[in-house]
This record gives sequence, structure tokens and C-alpha cells, in this order.
Amino acid sequence: MSGIALALLVGAGGSAAMAFVPARLAAWLGAGLAASLCAFYAAHLGAVSTGAVPAAAFWGVPALDIAGGLRLDGLALLFALLITGIGALVFLYAGSYMAGDARLRRLLVMLGLFMTAMLGAVTADDAILLFIFWELTSLASFFLVGTNHQSPAARKAALQALLVTGGGGLALLAGLVLVAIAAGTTSISGMIAAAPAVLAHPAAEPAMLLVIAGAFAKSAQVPFHFWLPNAMAAPTPVSAYLHSATMVKLGVYLLARFNPLYQGVALWHELLMWAGLATAATGALLALRETDLKRVLAHTTVTGLGTLVMLIGIAPELSATAAVTFLLVHAFYKAALFLVVGIVDHETGSRDGAALGGLGRAMPLTAVAAGLAAFSMAGLPPFVGFVAKELLYEAKLGAGPASDVLIVLGFLINASMVAVAGVLSLRLFLGASRPTPETPHDPHWAMIAGPVLLALLGLAAGSMPALVADLVVEPAVRAILGRPVAVTLKLWHGFNLVLALSAATVLLGVVLFLAWERIVPGLRRAEAIDRFGPARFYERLLAGTISLAERCTGLVQHGHLHGYIATLFAATAIALLGTLAVRGGFDAPAFAFGALDPRALALVAIVVGVLATVLARSVLVAVMAMGLVGFAVSLLFLLFGAPDVAFTQFAVETLLVVILAAALVILPIATRDDRAPRRKLADAAVAILAGAAVTAVLLAVLATPFDPRLGAWFGANSYPAAHGRNVVNVILVDFRALDTLGEIMVLAIAAFAVVALLRRARTGDAR
Amino acid sequence: MIPATTFASLNWSLALPEIFLACAAMVLLVFGVTRKADPQREVSWLSVLVLAITAALVLAQGGDKAQAFAGLFVLDGFARFVKLMVLLAAGLGIVMSISYLEHEKLSRFEYPVLILLATLGMMMMVSANDLMSLYLGLELQSLSLYVIAAFARDSERSTEAGLKYFVLGALASGLLLYGASLVYGFAGTTNFAAIADVLTRADAAKPPLGVVFGLVFVAAGLSFKVSAVPFHMWTPDVYEGSPTPVTAFFSVGPKIAAVGLFLRVMAGPFAPMLGQWQQLMVLISIGSMALGAFAAIGQSNIKRLMAYSSIGHMGYALIGLAAGTAEGVHGVLVYMAIYLVMNVGTFACILCMRREGRMVEGIDDLAGLARTDPLMALALAIFMFSMAGIPPLAGFFGKLYVFLAAVKAGMWALAIIGVLASVVGAFYYLRIIKVMYFDADAGAFEPRPAALSAVIAGTGAVTTLFFVWPAPLVVAAQAAAATLFGG
Repeated sequence: MSGIALALLVGAGGSAAMAFVPARLAAWLGAGLAASLCAFYAAHLGAVSTGAVPAAAFWGVPALDIAGGLRLDGLALLFALLITGIGALVFLYAGSYMAGDARLRRLLVMLGLFMTAMLGAVTADDAILLFIFWELTSLASFFLVGTNHQSPAARKAALQALLVTGGGGLALLAGLVLVAIAAGTTSISGMIAAAPAVLAHPAAEPAMLLVIAGAFAKSAQVPFHFWLPNAMAAPTPVSAYLHSATMVKLGVYLLARFNPLYQGVALWHELLMWAGLATAATGALLALRETDLKRVLAHTTVTGLGTLVMLIGIAPELSATAAVTFLLVHAFYKAALFLVVGIVDHETGSRDGAALGGLGRAMPLTAVAAGLAAFSMAGLPPFVGFVAKELLYEAKLGAGPASDVLIVLGFLINASMVAVAGVLSLRLFLGASRPTPETPHDPHWAMIAGPVLLALLGLAAGSMPALVADLVVEPAVRAILGRPVAVTLKLWHGFNLVLALSAATVLLGVVLFLAWERIVPGLRRAEAIDRFGPARFYERLLAGTISLAERCTGLVQHGHLHGYIATLFAATAIALLGTLAVRGGFDAPAFAFGALDPRALALVAIVVGVLATVLARSVLVAVMAMGLVGFAVSLLFLLFGAPDVAFTQFAVETLLVVILAAALVILPIATRDDRAPRRKLADAAVAILAGAAVTAVLLAVLATPFDPRLGAWFGANSYPAAHGRNVVNVILVDFRALDTLGEIMVLAIAAFAVVALLRRARTGDAR
Repeated sequence: MIPATTFASLNWSLALPEIFLACAAMVLLVFGVTRKADPQREVSWLSVLVLAITAALVLAQGGDKAQAFAGLFVLDGFARFVKLMVLLAAGLGIVMSISYLEHEKLSRFEYPVLILLATLGMMMMVSANDLMSLYLGLELQSLSLYVIAAFARDSERSTEAGLKYFVLGALASGLLLYGASLVYGFAGTTNFAAIADVLTRADAAKPPLGVVFGLVFVAAGLSFKVSAVPFHMWTPDVYEGSPTPVTAFFSVGPKIAAVGLFLRVMAGPFAPMLGQWQQLMVLISIGSMALGAFAAIGQSNIKRLMAYSSIGHMGYALIGLAAGTAEGVHGVLVYMAIYLVMNVGTFACILCMRREGRMVEGIDDLAGLARTDPLMALALAIFMFSMAGIPPLAGFFGKLYVFLAAVKAGMWALAIIGVLASVVGAFYYLRIIKVMYFDADAGAFEPRPAALSAVIAGTGAVTTLFFVWPAPLVVAAQAAAATLFGG
């Protein structure tokens, strides 16, 4: 088995092993597992950067034409490195953050499974395989968000995250299946190779929209952005890992993966660009409304994701470079900041940005890490964040007619990011110290290692951009565009428009930062955001669905046999009438009303009987009236030359009336009709409907020519074959003799049973 | 002229499994009657043995499509496949009920015997090749089931369930019979192949009106038996009221047999009328999926919830039938096989919900199961995720197959509605997981009986690991579906 397939099995096996060791050891095991996987993937860096694409067979269902298979190109490798690298730090961090907590081991096992699923999703070269891993990450997120299951908010957030991302996942599946059918393969590289066929398919556009919907739900794009801040109910290591560094980027990954397929479609670019921009702006605005530091970070993550989606949407190739660089940068600084906020929360007992300050003296190491990460976030040189921001502006400038809007909004968004970065570093750690619920100090080294390392990586990447460009960015850009491009990253571009924009951004950011204490309450008062946001829509949809469901069940499933029978008749009648309507009506049989046969007067008795049944006040009278109908029918048989049938019918009707009447006397059944008038009307409607349907059926059937073969055959054969002149008798005792024998036997057996029952009843032995 | 019938020309050996089952059921009945103490346990295990032997006999029958009893009975790959599923369902149904019957003081040997007889009826249904044998099998099955539904005859709920099932079932049988007689009257034959022949020769756009109405009635009757909307009303009441192992059996055995019969009838005698019944199937399928998804949301009783869930699942299975292709039938068979496994597993878990000597059925009673019995919680979570269609569990593949078949048959709307319904459906399955994993403990259940633990472990393993080795089931179902359409 090839290495990249083995890596997934090792990941799954290692995660399972964590369930069987003490929690403290499990954290080390997880960190070691992630670190060794990271080293394994890093070993591919050289080969992949020169154009090699390792592939491996993995799973697959030939009977379903699912090819299976894994593929490690530049894009997959970049993600795999982020997943395992940050994963190792998160394992380390979580072991210390939740030390002594009974839920730690379950959390670690879930984190391990999540990491494996993520690796599977980004290395999968098969759409179905990708989808399977995609949904597994949603599931892991569900359990991880719900870790604090005592809190109703956490339970609600867990379900919300799963419903939104899982629902998006189903849209994605539908889209992928459509694309697979059009391409004739489930292999992703095969789909891209078959791009003309995929785009020419009649369902190409819906398929693309479905794929986009899945990606948007996962990556919290507008209007699905609301689940991500709520998911902050998860423990901080989970938030840092899933809801910032990796899982939420899976949607971005998918869009990047399918970009080679759709890069010629205008709608793809427009949709991604504007939705991404809207998301980025929404995140920036909402980030300025919060003081809970985790929620602030969640909103800035939304901004980051929106920026990435927008960059994929902007057509020229420079934007792909910007996207990959920004992805890298964002993963470094955002994960670091999340972990820092977690430390602050852990050590001070509070994460309210408005109440905290001056922590630098008590926790110097944390302050340094936060400062380094925040500078990268603010896009200051010499951090890699600066490189990314320069590229961002450059890409926007080259975006064609939309570039003005992109630049202006982008400017405001970046300025607010600068302000948030200031809040998370300067405000939090400098100035006068304020009282906190617990006395702050630097945490255990396992917790501080992550943020420090990530922040230093941001600095290191900024100082040697060429190496990063060759090893990581270029191969990923090649995968996004589907063709090789020249990538150059550098810190210093000279004095130009972009640099001026950067400087202005920082200036405005500083102004916003200084006014932060006034901006937050100001924006909080704008309640319209809460009232009309999609979160509210989600709540309403959920509540509406539940109440609709309950009402619908109450209506259909009332438990009354009476109503069920009515439904049965109504449904059958509608099916019959519907069939007639679909066929465009029927030819009514021809009647000669002028020459009315006097024998038809027997029908009068039927009508009288029916009316009497319906109008009868007591059940007993109704039974007798029904008997009248039966006798009238027998009369018809008699008059139209079937005396034997008539006599049978007479006998049966008589018996029926007697038995029913006898039963009514003994059984405790209400003999009076106590239905409410409305009920009666409804029943009447169903009865009339069913009657009309059967009448229509009979008329229609009578109008069609009757197939006389059966009658003719029996007529011709009954005397020569069975020596009987009465055809009905011959059928009963000869042609269908075995049936008759069977019926007689059934009657005999029934008689035995009756005897047995009667004997029991007499001896009083009712077992 | 009618050909002379000899004993050999009956081809009776094709029905050897059925004949063995019938004889064995009667022998067991006599055995039970002659015992002084109640032999429920012995008869139950002997019944399981009988079912195993019957399954072995079915497996031993190879060969192409062949007919017996002058065309009343047909044996093909399709029939064998469905029969094996039914036998498995019956066997598991009996195994799961043994300890329950003893606990609830319902220990009577008639129970396994009735299940055997119902199974015999189901086998007859899937091998039916004539309207007569169809009705014979259907009624043998139904009559046995009416009795089983009311098996706890001292319980008001159980007797009410039995009565409702009987009244509505008799009505549905009447509709079906009425339809059968219309078909017979206008096609001149009750034999499936001959009906198909008559219809093929008729004008495709305007088949005889009498047969069309017959088809509507027959479809209504069969819809009742698979509990598809709008003939589903009995399902929640009967599922809730019947003793739990009975519900477990109801939700799989009769469903599978009825779906098998549905496929046989629509793809056999009425195949030339595809255009007439396809729209009907689409409506029934959409209705069932929607109702199954929506009505289940407000439920607090897990048996009722499973009733709605089963209605929804029938909707998904019927998507495959609505597609009207061999691929669709293939999808239905795979779907039903997977449904069988996860449903039996779920009910085995429900049967373990016993506290202070009595069964509990509320969804709230599952609260905190992840802490009191983590293994059972894990198994139930797997079944729920699988039913919600979340990959890589088996249920996902069942849905994938039927959706693919529908999409390939050009029925986009149906597939999309199916996907939407499964989003809503996922909501209530996930709620159970939420209750088990996140809610405060409601206290531990009594220890699980060994037989149930074995069933849970087995079905759980199949549900989880199906994706590793799906080929055997998929290939077998493919071969079975091919024989149904092959002629």
C-alpha cells in the first residue's frame, strides 16, 4: 500500500489507540501522531514542488463505478501540512488545557478522527470519497462542539453546526453526482480532464451551484455565516483547530479544487467574488460588535474565509497566489491568536475584551506570542501577513471593472482587522492591569508552545518569502489554476499605490482601535442586525418546521379508525378520478332512456334503502336499511336471469342482518349516531366522492368493449368437457373444483374452531 | 384444451423450501400443543433452525427462471434474493423476542409458529406469478400478522393495534381483490406473463380502461401493505401498540416481502403500462418521504418515531421503483437489505430499554446513554447516522443507489425532493444522538440479554463496515434485479 493511503490508516488507528490509554498519555500520543504525519507529508515537499503528484489506490466500489483513490498535489499537500502541523500543537495544547477533565480522552479521540478525516478529504481524488470524509468532519465537529454538554447553548450550537454543514454537504453530494454523471467518472482529476463535457451537460449550472452551496455552508459564507460564531461554545483548542485553521477551510479547498473545472464560467467568478466580499465585510462589521474575544476571533475568521473565497473568484492568476499566501498566513496567525485567547481565558477566568487589560506583566511570554501574531494579522512588515496584504491589494487592483468596489470595501475590512489585532495585543497586554477572577500567569509550556511557534513561523515565512513561494505556494497555485505559473513573493515591492494603500489601512486601523470602546456599544445598539439576520431565519425555519410537523401529524395521525377508513376511501377515489382525468375523461355508455325497462324499478328500492341507511338515527335501523339494499340487488339478479345468484344473495343478506342485529344487542357499541355535524358533513363528502368515483369507473368500464373470450370459452366448453349445462355450476364443481374443495375445507376447519371455542366458553375455561 | 396435469409436471420441487417450511410449522404447532409446560423457548429456537434450513434450501436452488404449479409459482434470482432477506428478518425477529416474551408474561409457543406461517406467506408473495397465488400469499401473511399484532391480548394498546390493523388491512385486501378481478375481467387471465402479453399487444397509449382501474386498485392495496402514503395511517398506531419484538418484525419482514411483491407486479404483468403507474409511484414516493420526515419530528415515543421512519424509508425505496429500470430495482433491493440490517439493529437497542422491570419507550429515556452504556449508545448512534444517510455508513449507500437510479432515469425532481426530505429526516435521527450523548442521565437500563447484544453487535458491524466490502451484496442484488427485468 502506498504511503499516502497508509497515512490515513495510521491516523485512524492512532486515534482509536488513544481511546485505550490514559488521557494524559493520549495527548502525547496524538501530538506524536500528528507530528510524524506532518513529517511524512513534509518529506513530499521537494518532489511535489518539482511537479510530481503521488497517487494511490484507496477504497472504491467498482459495481457503482466509484473509482476511489488518493492524490497528493500541491494544494492537497499544503492543506495536509497545515492539518497535521497545527494538529500536533493543538493536541499538545488540549492535553494541558483540559488536564484532569473527564471528557479529555473522548475529545482527543474525536480530534484524532477529525484530523484523519480532514487528511482524507484533502487527499481524496474521488468525489464520493471526498464527500464521505467531508461529512465525517461535520460529524466530528458535532461531537466536539457539544463537549460541554451541560450547557444548552453548546448543545444547540452543535446541532446547528451539523444541520447547516450537513445540509450543505447533501447539496454538495447532489452537485458532485451530477458532475460525475456528466463526466462519466467520479475521479476529480477525471472530471477536470472532462471539463468540456461537464460544462456542456444540461444540468451543468445547477450542479455548479450545488457544489458552491456545499462549500459556502462549510466555510461559513454569507448567508450561512451564523453558525461559526455559535460554534465557539466548543473548548478553545477545538475552535482553534476546527473552526479557524482547518475544517472551515474545507469549503475553500473544494472551491480551489474545482476551480480548474469552472474557471471559464463567468457565473462562478461573479458569485465567488461578490459572496466572498460580502462575507468578509459582514465578518468585519460583526467583529466590531463583540467583546467576547472568542467571538471576535470567530467573526474575523469569517472575514478571512470570505477573503479566500473572493480571491478564488477573482479571475487573474495573481489572485490564486494571493489566496494561497493568505491561506497560509491566516492559518498561522489565527490559530495562534485563538490559542492565546484560550490561555487568557484559562488563566484569568475571563475572555471579555472590555474587562481585560495590562496582562503583559503577568504573562510576558503569552504577550509576545500574541503581539507577533497580531502584527501579522494587521499586515505589518516584516511579517508574512504584510506580503499577503500587498498581494491582496494587487489582486484587487487587477480585478477589472469591479476593482473599485473591491478596493474600497477591502480597505475598510482590512482597517477593521488592524483594529481587532490591536485589541487582541496592545489593549489586552499593555496599559494598566485590571482585576481578573483569577490571578494571571504564563501557562504550562505545552500550552504556550503552540502560539509561540506559530507566531515565529509567521515571522520566518515573512523573512524568506522566496523559499515559501517555491516549496509551498507555487505547487498549490498550479493545482488551483490547473497550469504552471510563475510565483514570486517578496517583502518589498518599492513605493507604489499598493504600499500607499497599506499605509492608509494601518492609519485608519489605528483610529478605529483608539475608538474601539465607543464603536462596540454603538454597533451593539443596531438591533436590526439581529432581527433580520439569517440566524433568525434559521431559528424561524426550525421552529416553523417543528410546529408544522406537529400540526400535520395531529391532522393525519389522530388515531381514530373512523378517520383512517375515510382517508383510505378518499385516497382511492381521488386516485381513480385522477386516472380518469389524466386519460381525458371517458365515453359514457349509450342509454336509451325512452325505452325504460320496467325491471329497473327495483333500483327505486335500492335508492330508498340507501337514503334510509344514511338518515337512520340508530345503528340498528341502518343495518336493516342496508339489508333492504341487499334484497333489492338480489331482486335485480332474479329479474335479469340469475336466480341462483339471487338466492345466494338473499341468504347472505338475511344472515348478515340477523347476525349484525344480534351482535349489536350484545356488544357495548353506541347504537346512536353522535357525530358532530361537521364530522357528518366531512363523512358525507368522502362518501359522495367515493360513490362518484366508483360510478365513473363503472360507466367508463361499461363503455369499453367487453372482452367476451372468457364467457365464450366457458360457454363452449362446459358441455363437451364437463357434461354440464349450467355454466356457473360447471365452473364451481369442475373447472374450479379444487378451489371449491378448498373452500369447503376452510369452512370445515372454521367449524372445528367454533366448536372448540364454544366448548371453552361453556366450561368457563378462558385461558 | 387444458393440458393434463401430472404430479411431475407440477415442478413442485421448486417450492421445496416453502413446502418444508409449511410442514415444519405444522409439526412445531403439534409439538407445542402436546407439551404440558409452555415450550416457547424450545419452539422459538427450533423455529430459528427451521428458518435456517429453509434458507439453506433456498440457497441450494440455483438455476434460471422456472415455473411451477402450472405457472402459479415462479422461482428466479429475484425471488431467491428477497426470500433470503425475509428469512433473515424472521429469524432475527424470533431471536429478539424470546427474552421479551418471558419478561412480559407473553410466553406462548404460538408466537414463533405464527411468524413461521407469516414467513411462508411472504415467500409465496415474492414467488407469486399469478393474481391467485399473490392473494394467497398476501392473506396468509396478513392473517398471521393480525394475530401477532394483538398478541398481548390483555393490553388495550395491543388489541387496539390488532383490530385497527385487521379492519384497515381487510379493506386494503378488498381493494386489491377488486382490482384483481377487474384485471382478470379485461385481460382474460390471472397469469402474470399472460397479462403482460395482453397489455403488450394492446395500444400502449390507451390500454384497456378496466385494466387501468384494476391497476389503480391493486397499487392502492399494495401501497397499504408497504405502508406508503396515503395508505400509511395504520403504521404508527400499530407500531406503537404492538409488543416491541412484533413491531421489530413488522418493520422489516412484511415490508421487504411487500416491496418484493410490488416490484414483481409492477415490473411483471404491468410492465407494459409503465407510463400509467410511474406517475403514481412518484406521487406515493414523494408523499411517503415527506410525511416520514415531517411527522416524525414531533414524536416522543421511539416506536412511533420508527414507524414514521419506516414510512420515509419506503418512500426512498419506491424511488427506485418509480425509476422503472433494472438499475432502479437494483437500488431498491440494496436499499431494503441495508434497511433490514439497520432497522433490526435499532429495534434490538429499543428492546434493551428496560428499567425497573418494565419496558420504556420514550426518547427521553435514552438520555445520557453514552455514559451509562457507551457501547449501546455507540451502536444506536451508528444506526441513527446510517438511517439519516450519513457516510460512510451503509444507509448512505442505500440512498445513493436509488438516487443515482432516479437521476439516470431523468427524474431529477424526485431525487432532489428525496435529498431535501433526508435533510429534514436527519434532524430527528440526530436528536436521538443528541439526547444520548449530551443530555443529563436518565438512569441505567437493566443488563442487556445476550441474544440482543449479539444482534446489536452483528448489525452494527455490518452497518459500519459495509463500505469496506460492498461487493457481495451489490453484485447479488444486481443479478437478482436482472432476472426480474430479463423476462
